[in-house]
Amino acid sequence: MLQKIASVKPDNYKKALFEILDTLPFIIARVDREGRVNLVNRRFEQFSGMSAADSDGRLIWELIPQFALKLREVTGIIDRQEALTDERIQVGSGQNLHYYSLQIYPLNSDQNGMAVIRIDDITKHVRIEEIMAQTEKMIMVGGLAAGMAHEINNPLGAIMQHAQNIERRISQSIAANVKAADEVGVDLAKVRSYMEKRGIFEFISHIRSAGVRASSIINNMLHFSRRSEARLETVDLSTMLDRVLELAASDYDMKKLYDFSSIELVREYASQMPLMTMTLLEMEQVVINILKNSAQALSQAGLGREPRITLRTKLEDDSAVIEIEDNGPGMIETIRQRVFEPFFSTKDVGVGTGLGLSVAYAIVTNGHHGTIDVLSQPGEGCCFIIKLPIHRRLS
Amino acid sequence: MNVADISILLVDDDEMIRECIGAYLEDEGFSMHYAVSGEDALDRIATIRPTVCISDMRLSGMSGETFISRANAVCAETGFLLHTGADYNVSDELRAIGMTADDVFQKPIHELSTLIKRIKKIASARVQF
Repeated sequence: MLQKIASVKPDNYKKALFEILDTLPFIIARVDREGRVNLVNRRFEQFSGMSAADSDGRLIWELIPQFALKLREVTGIIDRQEALTDERIQVGSGQNLHYYSLQIYPLNSDQNGMAVIRIDDITKHVRIEEIMAQTEKMIMVGGLAAGMAHEINNPLGAIMQHAQNIERRISQSIAANVKAADEVGVDLAKVRSYMEKRGIFEFISHIRSAGVRASSIINNMLHFSRRSEARLETVDLSTMLDRVLELAASDYDMKKLYDFSSIELVREYASQMPLMTMTLLEMEQVVINILKNSAQALSQAGLGREPRITLRTKLEDDSAVIEIEDNGPGMIETIRQRVFEPFFSTKDVGVGTGLGLSVAYAIVTNGHHGTIDVLSQPGEGCCFIIKLPIHRRLS
Repeated sequence: MNVADISILLVDDDEMIRECIGAYLEDEGFSMHYAVSGEDALDRIATIRPTVCISDMRLSGMSGETFISRANAVCAETGFLLHTGADYNVSDELRAIGMTADDVFQKPIHELSTLIKRIKKIASARVQF
């Protein structure tokens, strides 16, 4: 009880209490046993869009229907005298996705019983948690990759290099080959035409390209633990984005999987962007990986609208922001939360390794001290948001 | 310049690597020498006096960096190349003896002809003919 505080006169208690309730950054309301509101604070008014006077006597789940499911339990809570806590309630989606924690405490001052409800917007907190969990996973995979790279690159090198050795040792241009063939009485030219006929040269070249593929997976994983301060360059973001679009249009993988040229590209570059310090090749890879993901999403059948990707740059506080937005099918929240996770993929086996977006994440966060996030409205598309600090601390 | 005049010391404790890179370099016509450890290479480098020495980053007993620094003290005319399993930025110590990022080959080397090119470039700068 706010009693016996000498400096606050009893007459001012009520005022002081209301001031406290209005200042606290929570939604607070008191309801009766039926769920009818009899006291709300300012946050509640702002959230429900209804004044305290208008709220009086109305059912709370009608005023803030987002939380109706939990609020309807109020009678039971009062009868059982047992508080209810829900640490995470998800409201809205896409740009408007928010997370709330909600508590309902029974009060027993009134003979019929009342309850106080406290709702807190914990969106920022949840985002930070997501980022931390993500970073932890990255560090783990990165450490694993660094160790694995050493162990796997030797045998992989042996496979790729011996494939090259085989190619060379059946070549007629090396004297030792011709001599050895003579000694055993075979015609090297005939051996070659036999191999040609049976597609053996092609097999050898496939061994090499498979090696290149495996090595690029390991190389991608090394990004998770990589800090590449050594190759920093000063870059104009719009020039960089235009160059990436050119690269994407000619990228072999892109062409193979989807027709990039059929996608409408919209550029919305802010005019007053500062030059940024970054590792250009890596940041280009970030944008390419996101574009690939978007292009692939847009290639899915039954979209029912013209595929479009919008590239946007803008300034926001101390950050340069790059947004890459598509009007594809979007993704549901459970997938959205996992897209940056290493090896997480919704694509068919062989289509994606599930590394593209996690590599993008690692490059932006580890390598460039920035943040990367994705917002999505299922059915309407998604938007990747990269924020890079303008005044970069070099660590 | 005759390629046979270019001698190469390949230092790697992995036999598989000595064999697969060695075979390619032998076919190219270089005079090849092999060492299985840093100590082994340090024992013999003064006698071999290779034009180029290719060292693995991870050698049993010492790092490739340490090996190159010590080998350079014995055989300053040799050009050194580093073969590494992960990202590597040339240390100040190795920069001081003239090594650059072009002297670092990340495993697996996709195209061995890039290695040959680098060897020939070093050789042409060092061999008198």
